[in-house]
Amino acid sequence: MGTEEDKQLIIETLKAKKTKTKFYLRDFNKMFPERRPREVSKLVNGMVTEGILEYWSSGSTTMIGLKGAGVQHEAEDREE
Amino acid sequence: MAKRKTPMLDELENGKWPSFVSDIKQEAEAREKTNVDLQIPKEVCDDLLDILELSYKDREGHWKHGGVAGVFGYGGGVIGRYCDQPEQFPAAKDFHTLRVNQPSSYFYKTEYLRQLCELWERRGSGLTNMHGSTGDIILLGTTTPQLEEVFWELTHNLKQDLGGSGSVLRSPNCCIGKARCEFACYDTQQVCRALTMEYQDELHRPAFPYKFKFKFDGCPNGCVASIARADMSVIGTWRDDIRIDQKAVRAYVGGEFKPDAGAHAGRDWGPFDIEKEVIDLCPTHCMAWNGKKLGINNRECNRCMHCINTMPRALRIGENTGASILFGAKAPILEGAQLGTLTIPFMKIEEPYDELKGLIEKVWDWWSEEGRNRERLGELIQRMGLPKFLEVCEVKPDPRMIREPRSNPYIFWKEADVPGGWERDIKDFRKKHQK
Amino acid sequence: MGYDASNPMKDRITDVGPRDYKEFLPPVIKRNFGKWLYHEILEPGVLVHVSEAGEKVFTVRVGGARLMSITHIREICEIADKHCDGYVRWTTRNNIEFMVDDEAKLKPLMEDLEKRKFAGGSLKFPRGGTGAGLTNIVHTQGWLHCHTAAIDASGVVKAVMDELFDDFERMRFPAHIRISLACCLNMCGAVHCSDIAILGIHRKPPMVDHEYLGNMCEIPLAVAACPTGAIKPATVGDKKSVAVNNEKCMYCGNCFTMCPSMPLADEEGSGVAILVGGKLSNRISTPMFSKVVVPFLPNEPPRWPQTVEAIKKILYTYVEDARKYERLGDWAARIGWERFFEKTGLPFTEHLIDDYRFAYTTWRTSTQFKF
Repeated sequence: MGTEEDKQLIIETLKAKKTKTKFYLRDFNKMFPERRPREVSKLVNGMVTEGILEYWSSGSTTMIGLKGAGVQHEAEDREE
Repeated sequence: MAKRKTPMLDELENGKWPSFVSDIKQEAEAREKTNVDLQIPKEVCDDLLDILELSYKDREGHWKHGGVAGVFGYGGGVIGRYCDQPEQFPAAKDFHTLRVNQPSSYFYKTEYLRQLCELWERRGSGLTNMHGSTGDIILLGTTTPQLEEVFWELTHNLKQDLGGSGSVLRSPNCCIGKARCEFACYDTQQVCRALTMEYQDELHRPAFPYKFKFKFDGCPNGCVASIARADMSVIGTWRDDIRIDQKAVRAYVGGEFKPDAGAHAGRDWGPFDIEKEVIDLCPTHCMAWNGKKLGINNRECNRCMHCINTMPRALRIGENTGASILFGAKAPILEGAQLGTLTIPFMKIEEPYDELKGLIEKVWDWWSEEGRNRERLGELIQRMGLPKFLEVCEVKPDPRMIREPRSNPYIFWKEADVPGGWERDIKDFRKKHQK
Repeated sequence: MGYDASNPMKDRITDVGPRDYKEFLPPVIKRNFGKWLYHEILEPGVLVHVSEAGEKVFTVRVGGARLMSITHIREICEIADKHCDGYVRWTTRNNIEFMVDDEAKLKPLMEDLEKRKFAGGSLKFPRGGTGAGLTNIVHTQGWLHCHTAAIDASGVVKAVMDELFDDFERMRFPAHIRISLACCLNMCGAVHCSDIAILGIHRKPPMVDHEYLGNMCEIPLAVAACPTGAIKPATVGDKKSVAVNNEKCMYCGNCFTMCPSMPLADEEGSGVAILVGGKLSNRISTPMFSKVVVPFLPNEPPRWPQTVEAIKKILYTYVEDARKYERLGDWAARIGWERFFEKTGLPFTEHLIDDYRFAYTTWRTSTQFKF
């Protein structure tokens, strides 16, 4: 599992993007160029379990963002 | 009864084929009458019919996508749907789908199906797909708060998990295999289950650039269509001789047995003609019939299955069985459709499947590293080239992997391939050649 | 007991996977697992498999709509309990299979299945779908549940199956016929290797709701969603929005998935394309892709008459003309596509000539053609 530093890096990088709140796994890989994609996805998925990040699905592709960030469907907002 | 006026859908109650409209209507009636404490609106099926009728009238759909991905911690298994006329159809305005990972080759005990029905009656629309394209049981239509409830009951009471959606390993699927097929060259059901269990993390938590599918066909007939739609298709085959029962061959020739297992019985094709129907149609022309005995030059056989399909009581697959493994099949979006490319001509498929797992993990690591967003494995192989992919899989090039050798000479040599490497001294050159 | 929303992680179970199929195998299947010797189709929709031990399992295959209510599933359970000791299975093509271990149990099962009808009069359990005939159409969600659907799925399938119904119950075709339907070109159910594929297509690029797009959608995501790079950020009036390069649009609807302010379905623009000649078995010839032979037909609910008519034309021309064991694609390749269009009477238009990637591989590069 990731260190606090790793998590901070992810949170800050995501927050710095002004116009976008959902990201591909590849965007996370770029934050850790030295690491294997498998490790990065474990880190990201761990942060989802901790409630820091959340998944967004197009059905065919999954994207990841900070929990609660971005434009959600009104009904998703309403019900959660 | 309901407000429903659906003249166009009503038309689809006519005709002999089972009418989905009649079925939705019977569910609507059942919901009207039931004593179950329904957790989503009673009229959901009525509103769904009305939405569909409106689509028939408008000739346009009325759904919007929602990004709800799954239950907490899962990146797949749920597809979010919202109606774009929520005021008109309040009972079906939120209509999400859950994918439930099917047991290998869709055998069920009614006890399990009844439990599933009970759950879905109370917490969903009561409508399903048996099954979705990938293979999952699809529970069609519920509200957001019910998602966790359904998941809780599935895992606790039915000992049953969700399937995959999004950038994950999708629910693996297989043909009927050894359960009821004499052509199965390996146990498709068991390897399907074993890999599904091994890779639960990859199935529920996105770790890939896009979707990834395993499918297991027991023989080259390909009943689960793996060669067309699985990123990794495992297709049963054998490498020894087709087993022949000469007496049974003669029984086919003599008209005692129905050719093709009786598949052509609905039309008078004349008496079975082994020359015309088997020997001449063999794609490698490796068979001969002398009026008494069938001969097969097995070394030349490419195991197309035609003769075995045509005379199943006389011919059987060989005994040294395993599978061919192909990678990269996909539907056309985006670069065009691809069939699987033969990468491993033969592998034994036996528990604990270590060789297969090793191969899968090499491929995943490479794809995760190199794959662009939403690039299927087949497209990556095209972009980087089959030789590169073989290197990743650590397999030696083999003419079995190609239809024909390349017709252009633009070979990208590696420096190590060329004696002396690429570094040369211009001064040495000048000793022999003037400026 | 049960899920507690205030404490969602309490007693949470994850990663248990599907149920083990071994729990669900009928005893006769379990006993003869891996020991099957041969099979035979006794009559359309009825199979017998014989094992090395001489045991037999009899299977009755019936069609079913992929969309199925729990009321219907409960009826299937009732039948399975009555005749099959509580076991039942589905096939990959949405058929239902009831299995019995004794020939004497066949007749009562078949009679029971035959008499069951829906209130509207259609059969609940039509027997068939075996051998060289028509089996069930595999399909996607359509207007019933999908947001990018260009056509309905269940309705088109019902319309086609009603018209071709007799051949579900017969086995008079030269070879298997596999019909599949996908309601948009994303093909969540792949249809690109089917004998006959019914494919929903859109023909109009998305509209852009500039008024709301900036609030409803994340512009970089809408831009990134486009597989052909046809979408660019744009300011319209004082609103942040996007512009679509219509020339580059392939009408896939991926942008609409990410951004509901870019709808593309249209009553005139969306409709049916028909592809034929694909297969995925390795029998005799190798697997093949289906080819587009009808570029567009309009949506005509509830019964899509032009689509049904085109399919009948293709199918019955093949049935009359092909040789035994010849799949539709093998037949078309043997007679030549010029003959295919002549015999079926389908019009050949410029839309049927490939101009996408790898198009050249489909052009004729010889003088071998037929007048």
